Amino acid sequence: MHKEIVIVGMNHRSAPIDVRESVAFEASYVREALGRLRTYPSIQESVILSTCNRVEVVAAASNGESASEEIRAFLAEQRARKSRHPLDDHMYIHHGPEAVRHLFRVAASLDSMVVGEPQILGQLKEYYNAAQAAGTVGTILHRLFHRSFSVAKRVRSETAIASRAVSVSSVAVELAKRIFDRLDDKTVMLIGAGKMGDLMARHLQRSGVHSVMVTNRTFERAVELAGRIHGSPILFEDFPRYLTLADLVIGCTGAPEILVDAGTVEKVLRERKQKAMFFIDIGDRRNFDPAINEIDNVYLYNIDDLKGVAEENLQERSNEAEKAEGIVQEEVHNFTRWISSLEQVPTITALRQRLEDIRQRELERSLGGSLRDLSEKQKEALEDMTTAMMNKILHAPMSHLKFDSKDEDEKTLYIAALKKLFDLER
Amino acid sequence: MDVTLLKVTAILYLLASASFVVYIFLLRDFVSSLSPIILLVGFVVHTAALGVHFLQTGYPGVAQFREALSFYAWLLVASYLLIQLKYRLGILGSIIAPLAFLMTLAAFAFGTGDAELPPGLKTYWLPIHVTLAFLGNAVFALAFGVSLMYLLQENHLKRKKMTSVMKRFPSLEALDKLNYVLLVWGFPLMTLGILTGSMWAGIQWGNYWSWDPRQISSGIAWLFYGVLLHGRITAGLRGKKAALLTMVGFAVVLGYFLWGDSLFPSRHGGRFE
Repeated sequence: MHKEIVIVGMNHRSAPIDVRESVAFEASYVREALGRLRTYPSIQESVILSTCNRVEVVAAASNGESASEEIRAFLAEQRARKSRHPLDDHMYIHHGPEAVRHLFRVAASLDSMVVGEPQILGQLKEYYNAAQAAGTVGTILHRLFHRSFSVAKRVRSETAIASRAVSVSSVAVELAKRIFDRLDDKTVMLIGAGKMGDLMARHLQRSGVHSVMVTNRTFERAVELAGRIHGSPILFEDFPRYLTLADLVIGCTGAPEILVDAGTVEKVLRERKQKAMFFIDIGDRRNFDPAINEIDNVYLYNIDDLKGVAEENLQERSNEAEKAEGIVQEEVHNFTRWISSLEQVPTITALRQRLEDIRQRELERSLGGSLRDLSEKQKEALEDMTTAMMNKILHAPMSHLKFDSKDEDEKTLYIAALKKLFDLER
Repeated sequence: MDVTLLKVTAILYLLASASFVVYIFLLRDFVSSLSPIILLVGFVVHTAALGVHFLQTGYPGVAQFREALSFYAWLLVASYLLIQLKYRLGILGSIIAPLAFLMTLAAFAFGTGDAELPPGLKTYWLPIHVTLAFLGNAVFALAFGVSLMYLLQENHLKRKKMTSVMKRFPSLEALDKLNYVLLVWGFPLMTLGILTGSMWAGIQWGNYWSWDPRQISSGIAWLFYGVLLHGRITAGLRGKKAALLTMVGFAVVLGYFLWGDSLFPSRHGGRFE
C-alpha cells in the first residue's frame, strides 16, 4: 500500500498574523478537527499543528495530490468561519521527502521566527499526543514524529544553535552565570523602577535569585515594584550603604547622572572582601561610572554591551544553523529510505504476482485452444519455459530494486514507475 | 619498566586529550562524559604499569628522572579524577590530559632500561617522600590549570566577548573556590613532602637541612604558597590576583622540577652519595 507524506500549512513567513489567526485551531477543538479530517478519502493519518507562528496539517495519504487538495479544502473551511478571502497565496504544500525535511526543520527550530528557540519541540509533542489520543496517528506518522523529535535532540546536542542567549535579559543572566556559580544565594539591587529593570529582575528570579532590593527616587514606586516582585524596598538615600550586600546591581533610572562611581565600588569591594560584583546599566542614560569595569572582580555591562553580545549570538546561531541543516539532510535521507523499504517488498511481490497471473491465464487459454493436443511432457516443458521466461524478465528489475541502486531517490522513482507501468495499485 | 603498558597509557592520554579538544571546540556533548572515561582507563593501565615495575624490580619507579615523570603524570591524573568526583569539572581535563600525555611521552625520551638503584635510595623513605612531594606538586599543577581557566574566563568577561569555548568553562566563582580548595590541600602535602625529605636527610646524613638547591627552591615555593593561603584566608585575596599568584608559584616549582637538577649539582640529581 503506497503512502505519501503531505504537509499543507502556513507559517510566519508565508502568511501575516491575522491570516494565521483566522485559521488557527484552538486546543480544545483539535480533536474534533482531526475527526473531520479523517472523513476525507485520501487522508489516512493526520496531525494538526497550530501555534502562534504556524498552522499546519501533516498527513500520510494514499495519494499525495488529492490529499493536498483535501487539506486545502479543510483549511479553507476552517477559515470560512471567520473570513472569505482565499488562502492559497499564503499556503505551502510539501510532498514526500520535502515534507519530511520541512517537519524535521520545524522540530529542530530551524523554521522558527527566532531560530533555535526551544518551545517549538514541546508544542510539536503536544499536538502529536493530541492526534494520538484522537486515533489519527498510524505507523507512518508515528515514525515520522518520533524521528523529528530525535532530529531536534541531535541538532541541540551537536550544534550550538540553541545555546546562545539572544535577548538582553537572557544575555545578562548568561553572563551572571559565568561570574557566579549559583544565583540562589545572591542578592540583586535594582536602582530605578523602570520597565527594563523590572523585566530583568524577573528574569533573574526565574534563574534562581531569591533576594531583591528595590530603590527609587520616589519611594512609593519602589514599594510598589518591590511588592510586585517580592523584593524589599529601600530608601534612595540609603542605597549606597546597602551596596555591600548586593552581588548584582541593575541601574535603570533614566536619569542622566552617574549614581555609582569607581571609588565607591572600590570601597564597597574592600568591605565585601573582594567578592565579585556584576553591574548592569540598562537605562538609556549611564547610571554607572564606566571605570568600574577596570576594577578587579567587578564587571560592568551597559545596554549596548548586552545588545552587542546578543547580536553576536544571533550571528553565531545562523552559522550553527548550517550545521543543523546538514543533520536534517542526513535524517531525511534515512527516513526516505525507510519509507521506500516499506514499499519495496510489496512492490516486488505484486509485480511477480501480476506476471504470474498473465502467464497462467495465457497458458490456460492456449492449452485449452490451439495447443490442446500436446502431450503431458510437452505441456510440462511449456510450463517450464514460460516460468523461465518470466524469471529472466524479472531478474534485472528485481536486482535493481533490491541491491544495485545506491541512490534512494532513484529507487523510489523505480518503485513508482513500476507501479504505474504495471498497474500494480489497482 | 614495562614499556608496552606505558605506551598504551601514553596513547590513551593522547586520545583523552583529543576528545577534550573535540568537546571544547566542536561542542559535541556526548564527548563530555567520554573524555574523563578514556582518561580513567589510561590511569588504570598506568597504575598497572607502575605495579609491574614494582614487582619486577622490587622498588617503586620514582628514582630516575623518567620514572619520576611517569609517576608524576600518574599522580596528576589521580588527583584530577578525585576532583572530578566531587566538583564535576570535566573541562579541567583539557589541560591535565595533554600534560599527562607529554610527561609520559617524555619518560620514553630518557631511555627505557632499568638502572640499578644506588644503595642509598633503597629505603622506604624514597617512596614516602617522593609521593608526598609529588602529590603536593600535582595538586598545585591542577591549581595552575584552574587559575589559567579563571584568567581566560575573566579576560573574556572584561572584554565583553562571549565565545562558545568560554561557555564550556565553569563560572569564575566556581573556579576561584576550587583554586582555594586546591591550595588548602596542596599546602599541607607540600609541607609533609619537605618534612619527610628533611627527616630522611637527617637520618641518612645527619643534617636535616643542607641548602640543597631543591630544598631552597621548594622552601621558597612553600613560603610563597603559605603567604598566598594566608592572604586568601585573612585578607580576602581572591579572583584574578589569587589566580596570577597561583600560576607564578607553580612556575617556580615546575621550573626547578624540570631544569634545576641539571643546572645545580644536587642530591636530588645523580650525585646522591
